[in-house]
Amino acid sequence: MQQDTAIAQHGSIATDSNHNEAIETAVPALKLTNLSKRFGTGDDAIVAVDDVNLTIEPGSIVGLLGPNGAGKTTLIKCALGIIIPDSGSVSVFGNRVDGTRRSAYRDVDAMLEGARNDYWRLTVRENLRYFATIHGIDPNSVTQQHDRLLDRLELTDKADTPVRDLSRGMKQKVSLASVLAGGASLVFLDEPTLGLDVESSRTLQQELRRLAHEDGRTIVLSSHNMDVIERVCDRVVMMANGRIVADDSVNELLSDATRDTVQITSADIDDRLVETLIDRFSVTVVGETAAGRTTIEITHAGERLYDVLDVLRNEAVTIDDIRTVQPQLEEVFVNLTGMESEQTATSGRAE
Amino acid sequence: MSQDGTAVPHSAATDPRPATYYHLAKAVLYREYLIFIRYPANAIGGIVIALFFFGILFYGGQLLAGQALTDSIEGIIVGYFLWTLSVGAYSAVSNDISSEVQWGTLERHITTPFGFAPVALLKGVAKVIRTFLTSAIVLAVMLVLTGTRLNLDPITVVVVAGLAITSVLGLGFAAGGVTVLYKQIGNWLNLLQFGFVVLVSAPVFALPWMRILPLAHGSAMLQRAMVDGVRLWEFSITDLGLLVIVAVGYLAVGYAVFHLATRRARRLGVLGDY
Repeated sequence: MQQDTAIAQHGSIATDSNHNEAIETAVPALKLTNLSKRFGTGDDAIVAVDDVNLTIEPGSIVGLLGPNGAGKTTLIKCALGIIIPDSGSVSVFGNRVDGTRRSAYRDVDAMLEGARNDYWRLTVRENLRYFATIHGIDPNSVTQQHDRLLDRLELTDKADTPVRDLSRGMKQKVSLASVLAGGASLVFLDEPTLGLDVESSRTLQQELRRLAHEDGRTIVLSSHNMDVIERVCDRVVMMANGRIVADDSVNELLSDATRDTVQITSADIDDRLVETLIDRFSVTVVGETAAGRTTIEITHAGERLYDVLDVLRNEAVTIDDIRTVQPQLEEVFVNLTGMESEQTATSGRAE
Repeated sequence: MSQDGTAVPHSAATDPRPATYYHLAKAVLYREYLIFIRYPANAIGGIVIALFFFGILFYGGQLLAGQALTDSIEGIIVGYFLWTLSVGAYSAVSNDISSEVQWGTLERHITTPFGFAPVALLKGVAKVIRTFLTSAIVLAVMLVLTGTRLNLDPITVVVVAGLAITSVLGLGFAAGGVTVLYKQIGNWLNLLQFGFVVLVSAPVFALPWMRILPLAHGSAMLQRAMVDGVRLWEFSITDLGLLVIVAVGYLAVGYAVFHLATRRARRLGVLGDY
């Protein structure tokens, strides 16, 4: 049977060796080529995804960030085949979703709306068995894997409890467990930590990293929680107005933003000196303590930093602290998506 | 993790085997079975409501029509039995599809190697079996209440009634598909089940073309089987052939409508919106 052969060759729970193969042969886990999707027609049309190209390597965790309406969900749903794009193509481990749908879908699953997506009247274990089956795996052959999955997600005690009787956080974990139960190699997770307490959220984040880095699964994570993205993801893709506005590792994105911002703290910086520095170098005062210490910030410092230091030296200022600012991912995100929105507004493109 | 804390590859314990359509059928039917026995309130409620309306029909009819109703009670019971079967099958399929959309599980089925369509079909089969069980109870109570005797050859009744309501399953799929596309229309489509009364009592002898409508020909055959005692093999090839053609035809059309509607919903991006 073609399907059986395909599953045996490629997929799912059994296929760590296949993951490795995929990595060795550099077949992308996900490849989106010139993907576009527009909703509506005429003046009311909304471009949800605008000519997006994206390649995700196996075994990586990619964070998908963007403000509401940026096109993240549409992009994910297009990748999953839940929404049919207007143009472009989607390939999962080299299989095109529109042409070889079955081969493509044996390796992909998604947790799209948190605690939904499961059968609440079934028990946790029954859900795992059911979703493993519809993903092409005989559930009797993965009982041990399911036990281990339940153990890792701290669900063993609840394995025989109907999902409807669980808390929201537990339901969220069950949803993730059922997504992993079929052994999907490429997993889309939309706000997976939403509604979880701090401890559960951390457990989940650790598990996600382990799934990617030890099991070789590829995870695409969409979240508004920047801390989660920063802690978990190897790479961040930021979207605004249906386009990708940044695509890089978390470290690179942060280092790009930090390169030119410096903060200097001293007890010797008085109001007169502040005025001078503002006039000459456009510094900003970002803090004044009760002890009289003032912190100034120089953005786009570059060569100007040395000029500022010269002024401070001439004024006999003793510097208590000088440091490069470490911005949060959130600041990078706001800058990039804000800039994109401004450009869009300027060019008058229909959003 | 293993006991020593090291990572264990998936394949270390056992090699997962691929699932076939047999496994899919087993999983879907077992799920329906679990829900049926775990949450019997829906089934019991359906039986009580069906018997309540039959009680009104029977006792109210006796008051109004007297002996005339008693003379035709056998036909009424057979018709009512088929109607409860039809309503059960239709609403189970169409409502179930709506529920899957609301639960977010329809989207998950779309992104599987099997897709949702075979799952929906298997669920339809499960619902038909379930409806047979509940309608059999309704039939038994009706016979006891009215003191009526009917010919209940199990093979004949199951095959004829089963094929008759297969056409209704097709309508259920079509309605489910339309509901996926236009969510708010679902409740209105539930009203269709009252139209089944007309189909069950369609005058197929006076107007033979009505035999091609869902339920109509099957209803006439079921009347002959249960009232006149005609066995399955005693029906003409033409009657049996038409019964099969109508059943398969409506099921195929309904299934196609469902498939096209979900595809259209995917194109419009409204598959999971509720």
